[in-house]
Amino acid sequence: MKPQDALPSTDTRSRSRSPGARPSNGRVVLEVDGVSKVYPRNSVRALDGIDLEIHDGEFVSIIGPSGCGKSTLLQIAAGLIPATTGEPRLEGTPVVGPRRDIGMMFQQATLSPWRTALQNVLLPIEIRDGAKLARARSDTAMELLHLVGVGEFAKAYPGELSGGMAQRVAVCRMLITEPAVLLLDEPFGALDELTRDRMNEELQRICLERNATAVMVTHSIAEAVFLADRVVVMSARPGRIAEIVDVDLPRPRTFEMTAEPRFAKLTQHVRGELDLGGQL
Amino acid sequence: MTTTATPRKERHSLYAPEPFINRIPQWLSVLMLGLLGLSAWQLVVSLELVARILLPGPTETFEEIVVTAQGIVTGDHVAEALWITLQEVLWGFLAAAALGFFLGVLTGETLLGQRAVMPYLVAFNALPKVAFAPVFVAWLGFGVESKIAMALFIAFFPVIVDTAAGLATAEKDALVLFRSMGASRWQTLWKLKLPHALPFIFAGLKSAAVFAVVGAVVGEYLGGGGGLGELIRLSAQYLNLARVFALIFYLGLIGLALFTLVGWIERRIVFWHRPEPTEIKGA
Repeated sequence: MKPQDALPSTDTRSRSRSPGARPSNGRVVLEVDGVSKVYPRNSVRALDGIDLEIHDGEFVSIIGPSGCGKSTLLQIAAGLIPATTGEPRLEGTPVVGPRRDIGMMFQQATLSPWRTALQNVLLPIEIRDGAKLARARSDTAMELLHLVGVGEFAKAYPGELSGGMAQRVAVCRMLITEPAVLLLDEPFGALDELTRDRMNEELQRICLERNATAVMVTHSIAEAVFLADRVVVMSARPGRIAEIVDVDLPRPRTFEMTAEPRFAKLTQHVRGELDLGGQL
Repeated sequence: MTTTATPRKERHSLYAPEPFINRIPQWLSVLMLGLLGLSAWQLVVSLELVARILLPGPTETFEEIVVTAQGIVTGDHVAEALWITLQEVLWGFLAAAALGFFLGVLTGETLLGQRAVMPYLVAFNALPKVAFAPVFVAWLGFGVESKIAMALFIAFFPVIVDTAAGLATAEKDALVLFRSMGASRWQTLWKLKLPHALPFIFAGLKSAAVFAVVGAVVGEYLGGGGGLGELIRLSAQYLNLARVFALIFYLGLIGLALFTLVGWIERRIVFWHRPEPTEIKGA
């Protein structure tokens, strides 16, 4: 379906859950309802009528050319910037500002270099409930660090961690508040490709283990397909949903699968949609 | 036929030879340059290229340094002067650190500061601040107060500028993260921006340590009092330049001691950041 055809919303809403997706009760966790974003300064229409429903335990990748507003969409969903029209709803309530049930991750790990890995993981608790209650959650933080395989570095400072380990700590910091939805803005984009592949595998494992609901913005088609139950392909100027591609590959996915014809077929399909949507 | 010999020779022709300076330890090169300078100084004096009364030799200066040290230990008027200057420098530095930090946070953190205060600070900074010394003497008299004010006045600009600049160094993603965690402005300042600014703040404090000595001495030159600056002025009037050099040596020690102290505190607090030598500024 091409972006200039009928509203993409009809397509999104009528779509049933893909057969390859993880078992889910189909409950909508995050709903983006007719969200548009116009920057009044230069009246650029960054997003135009975005409708999207993300279900419990679902992993959705958003991919599109630069300037398609995918990061803007993520920031609106996180309550960091307001939508011009429409609204994002999390667990049924409109998102009107930063919320404690949203976990975020960015390209840079953004760990505080003066805090140990453990203290960095506890930071969101410290911000919300104070240092005392944060310390009381140390055991949970340690469990998370062990879950992502950096338990023995709990006392280390970020300066002593590699880029991949730093992002693992950032994953823990995101998970410590047990958010209802994870919003990932190119989380491993700054890592080398080998580390990135391993981190993607880890992310899948963690999401499966915790039945996490996640939305990830990425530039990499392979990464988008590898992780996602659905890949949202966006087109630019104005930012619209061009197509939603179901990824019906069984889980857990492995890197052997990326060599299989159905994986290639899916990535080619996404690439085709991206090309239709405009300049990459 | 040996095939291994030729590439070795080629390597020497292709790559620049390692510079000689890299092959000797740094302390040795520092020491050698110092000795070279002293020898040149001694040579100029021995050959009487300059009248002895205008340029005392290194040995005379060293003797004067020793005599001054004895005076300081026994507690004569030099010790008194040193104590007065030391107080001026310390109070001036502390006041400059406090005021500079406050104004730095104000300009770096608030829109009012950025829009309204900063232009005034930039304009003030362009002024020759030494020229204000008589003003402080007129306001505060010939005691230590006018010198403390002068030390403060010269030393606090680098603290403001570096604090304000440091507050802007927190990564964009980290700021977004703090917003997404619902951090208040105070929390963002206290837990993110200020720690990030610390290396810059300390760079400003190191500059202030050096400038505070400049301010105190300028104040003493123009406003009298009983400090080292006054002693230097008097010794210079009697053309006792060896003594002038000796007193300047001790002034330098005050600045160096304060600078080193700030650096030591920095290493304790900002343990995650090692300052580059180029970050160290001075006057």
